[in-house]
Amino acid sequence: MSRYWIGFTVLATAGILLGGCKRAPEISFNEQIRPVLNDRCVNCHGGIRRQGDLSLLFRHEALMTAESGEKAIVPFEPAESELLRRIAHTDPDLRMPKDDSALTPEEIQTFRSWIEQGAPWEDHWAYVTPERPPLPKVSNPDWIRDSLDYFVLARLDEMDWSPQSEADCPVLIRRVSLDLTGLPPSPADVNQICIAEDLSYEDYVDLLLSLPTYGERWASMWLDLARYADSQGYEKDLGRTIWRYRDWVIRAFNEDMPFDQFTIEQLAGDLLPGATESQLIATAFHRNTMTNTEGGTDDEEFRVAAVVDRVNTTWEVWQGTTFSCVQCHGHPYDPFTHREYFEFFAFFNSTADRDLDSEYPTLPFFEEEKSTEGSVLMSEITKLEDAILAQIRSDSLVALRRTWETTLNQPEVIGRVPLMKQNEVKRVVATPEKDRGDAQIWTLDHVYANLSDDPVITRLRSEKREKERAMHALNPIHTPIMQELPFQRRTHVLERGSFLLKGDRVAPDTPDVLPAMPEGAPRNRLGMAQWLVSDENPLTARVTANRFWEQIFGTGIVESLEDFGTQGLERSNADLLDYLAVSFMEDHDWSMKSFLRSVVLSATYRQSSHVTEEAIRMDPHNRNLARGPRFRLNAEKVRDQALQVSGLLSSKMYGPSVMPPQPEGLWKNPYDSRQWQTSEGDNRYRRAVYTYWRRTVPYPSMATFDSPSREVCMSRRIRTNTPLQALVTLNDPVFVEAAQALAKRMLRAEDSIAAGYTYAMGTSPAPEDMDVLSTLYTDAFAHYTENHEDSASLTGESGSIDLAALTIVANAILNLDQFLMKE
Amino acid sequence: MSLINEARHTYLGHITRRHFLKSAGAGLGAMAFASLGTASAVAPSAPGPHFAPKAKRVIFLHMAGGPSQLELFDYKPDLARLDGQDCPESLLEGKRFAFIRGIPKMLGPQASFQQHGESGAWISNHLPHLGRVVDKIAFLKAMHTDEFNHAPAQLLVHSGSPRLGRPSMGSWVTYGLGSENENLPAFVVLLSGGVAPDAGASVYGSGFLPTVYQGVQCRTKGDPVLFLGDPDGVPRSLRRKTIDAINSINQQQHEEVGDPEILTRISQYEMAFRMQTSVPEAMDISREPSYIHELYGTEPGETAFSNNCLLARRLVERGVRFVQLFHWGWDSHGAGESESLDGGFLHRCRETDRPVTALLTDIDQRGLLEETLVIWGGEFGRTPMLENRSGSDNPYVGRDHHSDVYTMWMAGGGIQGGITHGETDEIGYSAVSGRVHVHDLQATILHLLGFDHERLTYPFQGRDFRLTDVHGHVVHKVLA
Repeated sequence: MSRYWIGFTVLATAGILLGGCKRAPEISFNEQIRPVLNDRCVNCHGGIRRQGDLSLLFRHEALMTAESGEKAIVPFEPAESELLRRIAHTDPDLRMPKDDSALTPEEIQTFRSWIEQGAPWEDHWAYVTPERPPLPKVSNPDWIRDSLDYFVLARLDEMDWSPQSEADCPVLIRRVSLDLTGLPPSPADVNQICIAEDLSYEDYVDLLLSLPTYGERWASMWLDLARYADSQGYEKDLGRTIWRYRDWVIRAFNEDMPFDQFTIEQLAGDLLPGATESQLIATAFHRNTMTNTEGGTDDEEFRVAAVVDRVNTTWEVWQGTTFSCVQCHGHPYDPFTHREYFEFFAFFNSTADRDLDSEYPTLPFFEEEKSTEGSVLMSEITKLEDAILAQIRSDSLVALRRTWETTLNQPEVIGRVPLMKQNEVKRVVATPEKDRGDAQIWTLDHVYANLSDDPVITRLRSEKREKERAMHALNPIHTPIMQELPFQRRTHVLERGSFLLKGDRVAPDTPDVLPAMPEGAPRNRLGMAQWLVSDENPLTARVTANRFWEQIFGTGIVESLEDFGTQGLERSNADLLDYLAVSFMEDHDWSMKSFLRSVVLSATYRQSSHVTEEAIRMDPHNRNLARGPRFRLNAEKVRDQALQVSGLLSSKMYGPSVMPPQPEGLWKNPYDSRQWQTSEGDNRYRRAVYTYWRRTVPYPSMATFDSPSREVCMSRRIRTNTPLQALVTLNDPVFVEAAQALAKRMLRAEDSIAAGYTYAMGTSPAPEDMDVLSTLYTDAFAHYTENHEDSASLTGESGSIDLAALTIVANAILNLDQFLMKE
Repeated sequence: MSLINEARHTYLGHITRRHFLKSAGAGLGAMAFASLGTASAVAPSAPGPHFAPKAKRVIFLHMAGGPSQLELFDYKPDLARLDGQDCPESLLEGKRFAFIRGIPKMLGPQASFQQHGESGAWISNHLPHLGRVVDKIAFLKAMHTDEFNHAPAQLLVHSGSPRLGRPSMGSWVTYGLGSENENLPAFVVLLSGGVAPDAGASVYGSGFLPTVYQGVQCRTKGDPVLFLGDPDGVPRSLRRKTIDAINSINQQQHEEVGDPEILTRISQYEMAFRMQTSVPEAMDISREPSYIHELYGTEPGETAFSNNCLLARRLVERGVRFVQLFHWGWDSHGAGESESLDGGFLHRCRETDRPVTALLTDIDQRGLLEETLVIWGGEFGRTPMLENRSGSDNPYVGRDHHSDVYTMWMAGGGIQGGITHGETDEIGYSAVSGRVHVHDLQATILHLLGFDHERLTYPFQGRDFRLTDVHGHVVHKVLA
């Protein structure tokens, strides 16, 4: 805080001193002008509101003549610039900002100098392709372990701070194991590295990166962005089978699929030449949108809602931009127009899904022995569908079909159309035939195909139904995927974001403020995905590197992971961010493992997280990285770690989501009688990433530890620290069971209490801690000696006083701050 | 062998010789830890009020979905005459609605009205009880908001911003005033109506304020708070000792690593322990006398708005600072029976009228009303037009969301009862006088609690944030 204040005072003083001089220092638009415009002006003179017909969002707009006949800004001519006159006006009715405090004299002087200098506009840094910054000179080159350390140390040098010393070996080993795999190290690992010293830290990092648990840990991060869930969302929130996508993400991380390919397969895998089954499953990324199966809803409305969500999610995940504002109007402060939103929308507007209960289109997956039969049936069904469509478009049916259309206003005819299609059909029929779009014709074709009495169609339909029944009997697992229609839906600007208020027609394109699509890239989702991961795109690498950074250090270099726009939070270290972004693309060639490896090998990462009161005061959130990260484990890790150290965790991977124990009666949906069916055997103890995720009723212990509902994309989980969390880890039967299991492990060990602590922390307890735990053990033992029935109910075994007392100790160990935190 | 020796004997098998020797040297008995107890702060110290507060506690009855003011409080006989006529286009120009398309028809009041109390306030026949307490109430008939969809509008009411991430009012208030009861959360949330608020837990989240200020949801069935009960076979005494052990090791950890988060964790474990006794006690309405159950219409064990009203009284009685109720089901579009003025709306009236009246009566009789501010209202109101979703008529009678004007009311702590502030035009579509924005309401609530809303701030991201953002004027006319 004080640093900024001093900076500000110096600047302000300089402004006053130089005010009278002929040559003012060069004004930085991004640093001195834009923040004031955004904070004080664009609320009324910006993207949404253009009071007095003035917008200060783009330079060309700001230079135009406003309603008053005056120009707000005339470059090089402060005397003719109405803006200057108004911000300095003495009449409160004329002075800007209206009804608010005046700008400071220094701010006014800055505006004057800026206009004198020609009122140059600059692009916001995030929209300019990053360049590799030169490595800065640092005070202590010996400290450097990775190039990223130069940028951190240079910052500390500037402030005359020094980095913390390296964390103790066992602490560092636990930190890196939790960071890379989401699980703590085994005491044997710690021993091997820290005591026996026959495994180096570097080799251990490589080992962790090669474990299958790596993919499970990082998938959790990605699934928040993908808004992956096992239910459809909205009011009914019925089940959805899409876990094969979750498995795809885990495999992609484990195979270290480069991030550019990872991007392209998820956004446009279906459009790749000869798309594989895996690439089709990847596209389920955007089938995680919600489906509204509530009666009476309009399928077209919710199809549009799903496309909107795909646009917003794509922008949040890859571009760190809150694009959703632009859906209804121009962006209030970032340079994106309403039209550009729908040009981008057009990339996503031609897929075959349309809010159907069946989640069509889906990819069926057959058990091995049924797969041949299954694919034969699939191709027969496709042939029959084509035949039906050919028949309804045949000349023989044209007249009949027209008659049918004219009768659609009759209740008994429209009544045969599925309820959720009725409005759309009415809209199509109301459109003159020559004006109908391909999608409208297609919709009508499909409705007619299901209703026509034509004998040929009737026969084909019943054949198709038979094949479908046969396929259904094979019990395939259907995964929703993206599939492009054989034609492009017309895309219009939707006024105020409403699916009914269609404005100008637009073609697929990317916004002008960003570099254009790569040459030769197709104007479809594939081209759009290639554009996102092109070398010129200024945002993708920065946003992604920043995400990984936040996962490791607890706070992003840009704290607002989801907003790199002008209202987002300022970078804590601009060069570090650009270095990481360029390095991710060029040095690591988009390899996520390689990138993470360099981060955890850095000296910055290895610092101890110990902190003094003064350091907390100077930098409470460790933005300057003068110490190592210390923050609470996320929901998944809290669960997985407890199961792991107690020996319960199942290493089984993949497959349908599981239902570990949760309190009864939480699933109470008036529209859905499904119940939580507690899993048995191994499936009770799977990693959290496999837990069934129902959007409206999230698994309670995980929700208590801040996991999101996943209704929409979520970049950041805000960490909390509440008594409810204490109740989970003390009393949730899952955690009690973990304590019982840990107690059994302890019972078998020679030195039970110390062993329990070591299983949990990877290192043996300090004598003081041991004293406390021993006392607890003694007290518990005394209680259970006198109360046998209590020991039986706690352990489920009679005559188990020792086990009961150890369970109490285990329960305490699993609740220690050190256990719940990454240190 | 004495018990303690037997324990020691078994214990010997579990610790190393080194540890034992050290422990024995210190003496086992000497290792017992005093409870860290209430000495450690539950939360960072509260900034405290700027001037003497009129109200010390708040009960906010949020009628989620947006109840229709035209069927409850805003009596518009002229609207009845226009019933069934096309809405004049002049009323629609430049307006946004959630569902209305094209030209809707006007819809007359679906209620009859009578005046009540000395103040002569108009109340509809759907609220037969409320008339009895109407002289305690100040109506705000020209409320307005910026948002016309549920989630953002609910966020605006509770956090001052339509977007996620800001602290809720309950969090601001508990941050400002601290807690009056160390054994209960200072900010409790009670849900009824079968559906959580549209904006989810964010409407009672702490945003960027420390998380100790977030609202804690309590339930009327099962564990009142999930996982509140100790595991089978763990008596309270042993739970106490467990928490002592955890906190004592955490204290040592803090001395070593210095992270203030550890101190928060210590206080949260203490709080969790106290909550285990105090929450079930506070949440148990079964021992309330029968006349109280009669008054509220409560049945112990149900998840119902009436039970939540009675709980609200029990909680404020115990010093809970902010009790937030949400009762879902006021979204009377007419698209289905449950959400129509001739269906679900009437049920909501029946479910809420008696308990709300009972709550005001009960806390008044106990002398609590004077220092307890009670607020009733939704996130927006409803249009005087009949909703015609997507251009076609709805099967039931309903109205669309309306953000320009709606009614809320306040009573108790520092509020002048028996008055009406704000007036709407003859059809209840726009305000004529006394407009009160959501931010003004918030400024007024904070004022009653002793805060200048412009000075109750919290630094975040280089700026001092406040509940009312850069807006808000105290509505002095409703103050006693």
